[in-house]
Amino acid sequence: MKLHRAHFLGLLAASSLSGCARIGTALTENDNFRRVLDAPERLNLAILGAGQPLSREYPDSAISPDFRHNGFDPPSDPQFVSWSRNGWHGYRLFVSGLVDTPTSFSVDDLRTKFPAITQTTRHDCVEGWSVIGKWRGVRVRDVLAAASPQPQAKFVVFHCLDDDGTGAKYYESLDMRQAAHPQALLAYDLNGEPVPLKNGAPVRLRVPTQLGYKSAKHVSKIELIAALGGDYGKGGYWEDQGYEWFAGI
Amino acid sequence: MTERVYRHPLVVRITHWLVALAILVLTMSGLQIFMAHPALYASDASRFHSPVFSIFSDVDASGQPVGKVQIGRAVFTTTGLFGWTSDGMGGQASRAFPAWSTIPAYRDLADGRRWHILFAWVLGLCALAYAVWAFKLFPTKSEIRELPEAVKEHALPWKVKATPQYNPLQKTAYFVVVFGLVPLAIVSGLALSPSFDAWAPWVPALLGGRQFARIWHFVAMWGILGFFVGHFLMVALTGFWTNLRAMITGWFVVKEQQ
Repeated sequence: MKLHRAHFLGLLAASSLSGCARIGTALTENDNFRRVLDAPERLNLAILGAGQPLSREYPDSAISPDFRHNGFDPPSDPQFVSWSRNGWHGYRLFVSGLVDTPTSFSVDDLRTKFPAITQTTRHDCVEGWSVIGKWRGVRVRDVLAAASPQPQAKFVVFHCLDDDGTGAKYYESLDMRQAAHPQALLAYDLNGEPVPLKNGAPVRLRVPTQLGYKSAKHVSKIELIAALGGDYGKGGYWEDQGYEWFAGI
Repeated sequence: MTERVYRHPLVVRITHWLVALAILVLTMSGLQIFMAHPALYASDASRFHSPVFSIFSDVDASGQPVGKVQIGRAVFTTTGLFGWTSDGMGGQASRAFPAWSTIPAYRDLADGRRWHILFAWVLGLCALAYAVWAFKLFPTKSEIRELPEAVKEHALPWKVKATPQYNPLQKTAYFVVVFGLVPLAIVSGLALSPSFDAWAPWVPALLGGRQFARIWHFVAMWGILGFFVGHFLMVALTGFWTNLRAMITGWFVVKEQQ
């Protein structure tokens, strides 16, 4: 008798949860409720995204044995493969868009023409895991300054060489303030070695104050624009799939 | 003789029901989020080879898919409930939690996060509004003295009578949730945000690191769910309608018996 009652209560609980799951699913797919779901992002950006606080830097002893790979496979097109086999000879990082002097840099240019910054920070994936790595590279703001951004430039788009297998290329974006963060790097070394293919060779973005998907890999072109939207989608590959543009939480 | 007491002011009634909704949504969307990486580590960064807790799917000797839950060194088979369970479309799939327990029912980390963060704001704002009133929940000296007696009374929960004043055990339970579990859930949740951590690196440090904060977040959820079960049971056993009416209208009505 008691067993029956427990069984009944269990079923009741599961079926009421199931009802909630169904209501929640239906609301998720409703366009009006979508606006409510999307609203907190602006609040999060205004509060947590304000200022330029620095992410914690760790001692070498905290470095993770393996910097986990997630996301797309490295590009496999012949040009990328030949670059990767020839010390990135021929690869260039372009800076274009709303700048006075569009320019481009080889990996060696990045190593020699800008102050090198070393940063041992935690990488927090949107999935929930974290790894710590020691990155070396140049500040995004230094690279942008070399091209003299125009005043109407408000966003920085990072175009990447990797794609999702259907041809949709990875890309990401920051606003000018986020791009000017002292820890926003274009990294060429990880843990004392050139960035491995799986972690975004030859140059990857590092934005330790936001979730890992902002830290775009295999960056080939940096474009300054006035506004997101239109051709620039929601400002990133994962943003186009419904993830927040402000990935600080 | 009927005694009528105005027990719950408006702010308590509104925040009570909003928080109840928020806890439901936060739990179900939290399970959705946890499915993206159903593993916990007692450290700052993930030690992928030694999770203290994980949920996964496997195949048994006959090649059939099975669900497993690992806690420390123990592994339990949980096929049908955790690890290998309902996909919400009539079948089973490799997912940590069944479709009927997550928002949305189908796997979608992005939407799960949107729901979770929206209702985290609801919970946070309610907590602020409620906190002003909730200092009444601090136990008095006499209530601490009477606590063992109240615990004994609750050993036979169907004999417990709802009274206009909270009894000491009841008040302690509310106190632990309001000043312990809910703040722990909020703080450990904030510690998962890389932007929050840049503002206040001492918060994740205090909790044992970012991955350890996930453990605290998980513990707080189970604690709150445990409270909910006890709370619902006592509400039902001590006069479901009387209690429900009080939390809707504010008025607690006791019929005195001869």
